[in-house]
Amino acid sequence: MGGYGDVQMIDENGLRMDGRKPGDLRPISIETGVIPVADGSCRMVWGTNEAIVAVYGPMEAHPRKIQRQDRAVIDVAYNMAPFSTTDRIRPGFNRRSREISKVTKDALESVVLLELYPRSKIRVSIEIVSAEAGTRCVGLTAASVALADAGIPMTDMVISVASGKVNDVVVCDLNKEEDNYGEADLPMGILPNTGELVFLQMDGDLSPDEFKQAWDYNVDAAMEVHKLMIDALKGGDN
Amino acid sequence: MSAPTVPNLLRDHLADLAQNDSRLDGREQFGARELKLETGILPRAEGSARVTMGNTIVLAGVKFQLMTPYPDRPNQGGLMCSCEVRPIAGRHWEAGPPSPEAIELGRVVDRGIRESGCIDVDDLCIIPGEKAWQVILDLHAISDDGNLFDAFALAGIAALRSAIVPAERFEVGQDSPLKVSKKPIMCSYHKVGGRFVYDASYKEELGGDERIHITLGDDNHVHSLQKGLKGIFTADEFEEIMEHAKSRCAELRKIVD
Repeated sequence: MGGYGDVQMIDENGLRMDGRKPGDLRPISIETGVIPVADGSCRMVWGTNEAIVAVYGPMEAHPRKIQRQDRAVIDVAYNMAPFSTTDRIRPGFNRRSREISKVTKDALESVVLLELYPRSKIRVSIEIVSAEAGTRCVGLTAASVALADAGIPMTDMVISVASGKVNDVVVCDLNKEEDNYGEADLPMGILPNTGELVFLQMDGDLSPDEFKQAWDYNVDAAMEVHKLMIDALKGGDN
Repeated sequence: MSAPTVPNLLRDHLADLAQNDSRLDGREQFGARELKLETGILPRAEGSARVTMGNTIVLAGVKFQLMTPYPDRPNQGGLMCSCEVRPIAGRHWEAGPPSPEAIELGRVVDRGIRESGCIDVDDLCIIPGEKAWQVILDLHAISDDGNLFDAFALAGIAALRSAIVPAERFEVGQDSPLKVSKKPIMCSYHKVGGRFVYDASYKEELGGDERIHITLGDDNHVHSLQKGLKGIFTADEFEEIMEHAKSRCAELRKIVD
């Protein structure tokens, strides 16, 4: 969080720089079956974010040392394309993408029925081709749609949304300026059918009341996104 | 890419098809898959293109950076072409540092664009010896069903032609379109079942032998050639595919316009 408190991001009518009310999401569109050679795939456009996700598997897990005798393993690779941001990203090893890959894997392993596929591997490749803010949320949400598109059994979908605080106002689904200059960021991964969580991070500064408000925004937003995901999966783009 | 197992059944099948002048998907020897080219599709890139050839999908994005010109060429900017084939593109592509295959892809596409002289590197200089533009073309595979070479080359030149130099953001003047004077086009041929075919699918690449990539510029000048994989070809075979490349490049050049 930059904490550049002098940047005015909420106008006198309580609207945000992009015209949204504090609890509003950015426009979202979801398409499945976008990668013909994959077992399941999803393109999710969320504001100016665009994530493309491919799922391959279940397949033989190799090298054999990664195999688990009683369950499958999920191999998540989150990556931002070099041209996905204003300043080009050098391709290659990157601590940030390693961390996001790991927390995404931890979230997805919590919902996929891994014990159905012992000794196998499910590969989830997340490519961010355009980034605005909240790419980890878009990546995780799109990955759960791609897994469903691949027909992989899960106890629930995962919807990830981030709320935060700008100019002392709690807002839902931070955009780029709000993420850069805001005072807090709370991304969550929510299971829509039970309200349980599989992913949680936070940085910044929130009072207990603000935290509660941000939490509630995320849960409400997740229910809204869930409807779009179901429509996309039922829509028969495939 | 891990070494794929090629079943003899596939090779035999491809040879039988070649005997009857047919291919796995029923195409003719030099038939192409359905092709779609879209530009301006990546909001964060200064120039971008998506090419869809059958089930092969690639993206190309152009970014700009300021560089200090090299001491021996103080009046020139730079052009860099980098290619990544990440695991999203297919189950045979694995994570990790770029494989020799991906590096070959990037370098062959780079040579075709660079050697055609379509980008005037002198024109990229802002202050001689101090400041110049570095144009970076990033090629990103999304779905690999064969012939990534041609898809990358086409997406690359289309992305460059759609690029806007972001001079205002770097405070070095006014935004203007990147000057791209020529249209180098690549055509690739794979030896499948004993004969060369155009625009091979992944299965044809898998069960085939050597491949030849030809990049032709305006007026059919040859700008880059590459022979890849194990195999032997004759001068007559080369002449045949060169003749096809000339007519196909002319068709593709119209699509880029």
